[in-house]
Amino acid sequence: MAVIRDINVHKDAEKHLAQMEGRYRGLLEAAPDAMVVVNQGGEIVLLNVQAEKQFGYRRDELVGQKVKNIIPEGFAERLVADALRSAEDALAQQIGAGIELTGRRKNGSDFPIEIMLSPLESAEGILVTAAIRDITKRKKAEAHLLQKVEELNRSNEELEQFAYVASHDLQEPLRMVASYTQLLSRRYKGKLDSDADEFIAFAVDGASRMERLIQDLLAYSRVGTKGKDLLDTSSEEALQQALLNLRGAIEESGALVTHDPLPTVLADEMQLIQLFQNLVGNAIKYQSPGIPRVHISAAKNGGKKWIFSVQDNGLGIDSQYFEKIFGVFQRLHKREEFAGTGIGLAICRKIVERHGGSISVESQPGQGSTFRFAFAGSERKS
Amino acid sequence: MKAIRGGGRPVEVLLVEDSPGDVRLTQEAFRDANAFIHLHVASDGVEAMAFLRREGAHVHAPRPGLILLDLNLPKMDGREVLTHIKEDAGLRAIPTVILTTSEAEADIVKSYQLQANCYLSKPAQLDAFESLVKSINDFWLTKVKLPQQRQSG
Repeated sequence: MAVIRDINVHKDAEKHLAQMEGRYRGLLEAAPDAMVVVNQGGEIVLLNVQAEKQFGYRRDELVGQKVKNIIPEGFAERLVADALRSAEDALAQQIGAGIELTGRRKNGSDFPIEIMLSPLESAEGILVTAAIRDITKRKKAEAHLLQKVEELNRSNEELEQFAYVASHDLQEPLRMVASYTQLLSRRYKGKLDSDADEFIAFAVDGASRMERLIQDLLAYSRVGTKGKDLLDTSSEEALQQALLNLRGAIEESGALVTHDPLPTVLADEMQLIQLFQNLVGNAIKYQSPGIPRVHISAAKNGGKKWIFSVQDNGLGIDSQYFEKIFGVFQRLHKREEFAGTGIGLAICRKIVERHGGSISVESQPGQGSTFRFAFAGSERKS
Repeated sequence: MKAIRGGGRPVEVLLVEDSPGDVRLTQEAFRDANAFIHLHVASDGVEAMAFLRREGAHVHAPRPGLILLDLNLPKMDGREVLTHIKEDAGLRAIPTVILTTSEAEADIVKSYQLQANCYLSKPAQLDAFESLVKSINDFWLTKVKLPQQRQSG
């Protein structure tokens, strides 16, 4: 009797399955992912062609099997949790928000999968539909990206360290070249012939320029390697200090430097001073005849950031150079016109970026320039 | 000239410096600053200590009135030399001036912790270096009052 009953139950189940297949087959095959329908006992009831391909089984090898055979861990727990979940909850779950598990193919090899579960009511009770996506490629891409980021960070650090050590160690032999060419020039000028005087003059000039370049390179690399923590800093006091450092240039040019009340920001004070000093210094330096006027202001950008503006009435810059001027050793003028190594704005950009902001310029030749940069405001309520 | 101290004897200065270019440059600068200086040179830390302790070839070495000490030296670096000088009751009163290319904050802090009398970094420009040597001469070898020490011999 028991045997016959078992056979009958089995036959019923097969009939059901055939009905279900008929009903859902088309739907399952239309899905881009592997689809596996599982009953409350964790047995596979239905699957699509993608599932066969993904796991390397034939359909008849999987139907009636425990889902544990193809998803060894995590699935059963999800199944219990999922059965308690309402259909709306399940529907609200977004693609890509699935749970990441490991799938196992017939040949025993594992691969990373993402599964999305949703309940399906049927005559057999609640079934669970699992959409299974092979995320091998995504995982590889993620790992690759992570590795690249690490490499990039490391090479950036190495580069900063290299620039620092190189510029520091270059100073020593350079001091020898500079000092001794200067000594030659002083002792032997006019005592050899005019060629010798000229050659020595070029050597002295070259050594002096190299010294400035190395100093500037060192200053540039220090922005990254010797930066201090960002603290609440009065940008007005930082500007005052910068103007004090620039007083020679300001007095000499007769420049009028004005500013609005300026806020407290999160900054490395020394770097903020340097930033103002470079920008105001440039504003005074790149001038046509007349009185240089520089105005510094700050405005909230709606969020927590302050946008600072340093506006001048100077020569202005052609828009094609807006990006170039922030590069290392980039200059727009001949040495005879304006001295300098072309690192000032590169230092500015590095300082601003270290503070999580960006720097840009707006200008028209002959109309002056406005440099803008953003800094985070103080955390403290003012 | 006021550079002569202690009964008309010339001033003895020990320069501890491994770079021949720097040695020559310092000699040139002192020659302009003060003709009465005897500049002795030790090219590493071990030799500097042998000079100061009058060991080996330095048995007849005079006691310097000033030590100019570079930090990065072969065999025994300037920090060790400074430590030995300041630990030695017979040597610690000699003004020891750190004269180096390093502008690293860590070197400056360490030097003063080890009781350096002052810390100077070598400027790249000849004019600036010469005026630095003049300042050393004007201050440490002219203005500064030091305890009377008996000379060697």
